[in-house]
Amino acid sequence: MTQAREPNSKPRRARHAERVILFFVSGQLFAISAEPVQELRRTDCLAGAAVEIENPELPKVRHVVERGGQVYCVVNACLHFGLPVARPGLVLILRQMRVAVLVERIERMAEISAVYALPAAFIGDERHWYRGLSYLDDGVIPVVDPGGFLRPAEFQRLESVAKRALAQAELDGAVQG
Amino acid sequence: MNTIDNTGRPSFVVLQVGPRRFALPSETVVELAPPVRLHRFPHTSRLISGVIVRRGRIVPVYDAASVLIGRSSSAQRFFLIARRRWDSSSDLGAIAVNGKCELASGEMLAPDPDQPAWLAGRLLINDEPVDVLDFGALPCGDATAVESRSKEFPS
Repeated sequence: MTQAREPNSKPRRARHAERVILFFVSGQLFAISAEPVQELRRTDCLAGAAVEIENPELPKVRHVVERGGQVYCVVNACLHFGLPVARPGLVLILRQMRVAVLVERIERMAEISAVYALPAAFIGDERHWYRGLSYLDDGVIPVVDPGGFLRPAEFQRLESVAKRALAQAELDGAVQG
Repeated sequence: MNTIDNTGRPSFVVLQVGPRRFALPSETVVELAPPVRLHRFPHTSRLISGVIVRRGRIVPVYDAASVLIGRSSSAQRFFLIARRRWDSSSDLGAIAVNGKCELASGEMLAPDPDQPAWLAGRLLINDEPVDVLDFGALPCGDATAVESRSKEFPS
């Protein structure tokens, strides 16, 4: 992952373009580096595999999915970014993060020349949400930090909840079968 | 920007926020930017409306009106860009204004003891008292904990 540029660094003459996926969440445009995105799927592809979990402390994660022996936490991006909840159409499955992110739709792939650090005035959760800001088509777009969807402590808490939910789902399946 | 008086005394930029006038020390003011696009994106920081891109920098825009006059004002279309200072750090920030900014000079009087921290003092302009802002003291949270700063940006 490319880090945001140091505050006092000189503008680079030869910039390395970074490929990003532009996506919408509740009508708001975001960018995420293409590199950590393993797969893009329609949400209905996951419908049968998703297991609901009891997790009132973290309402943005209501489901987990088991894929290739790994448990993925499904994060609703609307709730993560504090946006009005909209029906998700796609899921971004992130490489190495064990996170799947529900988004509205993909806009397109694009290349950005740099990611600029958030101004110091931003002091809230957005410092975890974003690697920084980028400039594309006369607009400023937040560049999402793929590691910011779940913090380590949240992961730990979810893991035990997910294991119980998956075991229960397996048991239910065995009983019905 | 109109010039009222500048005779070697401390000078201030007087700006209109809603129905009230406030002043900023002129040495902190960088420029009065024309109406440019305010870029908004999700965040949780109080008092930040969004960012503008000006002269290669991303500049956060403070919703100063909600602090200064108790409500946001949609009539403000220009941006007064000034340097915010706190402790040993500083950063640029913008306040949306209506474009009627003036340069004034005079001795700043000490603020009343019960004034909020973001009022640095008071200025008398043609017998009208005008509060002088301490931009760095606007209640925007503990910005000192944040490492990164805005920087060069392609405009």
